[in-house]
Amino acid sequence: MGMRRAWIVVLFVVVAALAGCQGEKESGVGDGEGKLRIAVIPKGTTHEFWKSVHAGARDAADELGVEVIWKGPLKEDDREEQIKVVEDFTTQRVDGIVLAPLDDMALRVPVQNAQRGGIPVLIFDSGLKDVDTVSFVATDNFAAGELAGEKMVELLGGQGRVILLRYQEGSASTHEREEGFLEALRAAPGIQVISQEQYAGATTESAQKAGENLIARFREGGAFGADGIFCPNESSTFGMLRALQDAGLAGEVRFVGFDASDKMVQALREGHLDALVVQNPRKMGYLAVKSIVAHIRGEGVEKRIDTGATLVTRENLSDPEIAALVAPVK
Amino acid sequence: MKGFGNVAGLVGAWLGVMLLFSWQVGPSFASLQNLETILRQTAIVGFAAIGMTLVILSGAIDLSIGSLIALVTVVIAFALERGADPMLAVAAGLFVAAVGGTVNGALVTRLRVGSFIVTLGTLLIFRGVAKGLAGEQKIDAPLTWLSELLAAMRPEERWRLLPWGVWLLLLLAALFAWVLRATVFGRRVAAVGSNEEAARISGVAVERVRVTVFAIAGLMAGVAGLMQFSRLTVGDPTVAEGLELDVIAAVVIGGGSLSGGQGSVAGSLIGAIIMATVRAGGSQMGMPNWVQQIATGAIIVLAVAIDRWRQAARAARRREAS
Repeated sequence: MGMRRAWIVVLFVVVAALAGCQGEKESGVGDGEGKLRIAVIPKGTTHEFWKSVHAGARDAADELGVEVIWKGPLKEDDREEQIKVVEDFTTQRVDGIVLAPLDDMALRVPVQNAQRGGIPVLIFDSGLKDVDTVSFVATDNFAAGELAGEKMVELLGGQGRVILLRYQEGSASTHEREEGFLEALRAAPGIQVISQEQYAGATTESAQKAGENLIARFREGGAFGADGIFCPNESSTFGMLRALQDAGLAGEVRFVGFDASDKMVQALREGHLDALVVQNPRKMGYLAVKSIVAHIRGEGVEKRIDTGATLVTRENLSDPEIAALVAPVK
Repeated sequence: MKGFGNVAGLVGAWLGVMLLFSWQVGPSFASLQNLETILRQTAIVGFAAIGMTLVILSGAIDLSIGSLIALVTVVIAFALERGADPMLAVAAGLFVAAVGGTVNGALVTRLRVGSFIVTLGTLLIFRGVAKGLAGEQKIDAPLTWLSELLAAMRPEERWRLLPWGVWLLLLLAALFAWVLRATVFGRRVAAVGSNEEAARISGVAVERVRVTVFAIAGLMAGVAGLMQFSRLTVGDPTVAEGLELDVIAAVVIGGGSLSGGQGSVAGSLIGAIIMATVRAGGSQMGMPNWVQQIATGAIIVLAVAIDRWRQAARAARRREAS
């Protein structure tokens, strides 16, 4: 009996303490009666990219007077965890769900479920197969990949051996960038792709390991057997950059990356990176929330909204518009 | 009767957690739909926890469960993709899981290496096999009735109250609770876990019991893998990484002792439900992930601390009585 009471008391104390500590932070779900509640579900929460998306979503929320609930999967890049988050918001009956699916297949069932329950879903950043949703708000990833490929051809003068370090299987957005990149390289017959079957994996850590392995494989004596490298997202670019820096090869090979973080912009200034293709995640978060609110309020929404991509180099970094794109989000 | 008191205490703790989140999130948290969601999200850990209860009761541990679940999702998707009937795909998945569990048991008994080390090894081996079989990718499989096992129920399906997968969980939990309580095998498992030497001297075939226990744990991981596949609809060799820790936590919250000899299926199941409730509650109140992880961690440590304290109190009472 004493045991039972102790159990309950202890659990109450722990959860109550944590609930209290949560109350002081960002507004939870309970408040904001009458406001539209929009759940925004990113793929993860630690990448700079998602922080910018969050900032854009908040911009839209302030402008439109709606409440944005920001919640990523508890374990980053885990399909099952993201399914749970979608289910939780469905059960809770939010007014709309804005989702960047970790997998183009595995998230179909929970999304269909939400829509069947009358909750509109808008997909952003990365696509979902065979499911009709409010809209798809994303960078045209194939075109962004082509942009990177064209820059690579220009950097190498149309001659050289190129490595493509892919991101992760099942991620639609990065796959399209990789294909766009390869398509642009086909225009230059002097360019030879010497490796395109390696995957960086979900984290910077795994990308760095993949990078180290590639360097070991193509290093012949003192020389490096590759002239150019492309990586299709932030973690793969940064992991590869770390591997190149450790091996003393940074600046020796032409390196085009994707997305931006403080350290990557720094590397661009130092010449360790030659170019970055950046998306506009803030605009993406903003347009995603704005579009689903427009849909809920009965206004028409385009089925496909492109948020654009820009090439950033050391030369155009001082341009204020470019600087705003790569500036860290506070 | 003491087992019953423990379960009642856990149910009380769970009700307390429910009450607290209902107050924080709103009455929707105690709705039938949300209870269904929580039970569906419990199922995968729940199936694996049934097997893990037996393993922990026998004084061993199985760290390979998460990898085995991933392997099963890959095997099922692999078979479906090649046009196999869903029943056949499931049979293949369960067979592989049972073989995996038996391998664990055989290595532990034959090599005389501790189960922690053996299953730490097979954790990597099974994960590697899953990635190899899947060609280091996920496998997309055609949609079949398998993906309905743990899906949210449509309005016209409400007559069955719970999804089939949850019914199966309750059925298997009841079956193994009975096995542990009322069969010779169940008593032998507890005897091996309490004192292996004493069990051996009194004629228990310790090795056979251990292999059977690991095989059952593998099979239950197979069912958990089937449910995982049902939710993902793809074979994912990277899924359920670290899930074995959630499963062990569920068993420990449910009164299982890592030194063996103690544990109940009902307790483990409620342990799993408590963890899923805290997760769903934290998620629905918009609790940041880091707070949620701290809360879950604190609950696990406190549960074990209370368990220790309770055992010490019981030992003291026994001393007084004698």
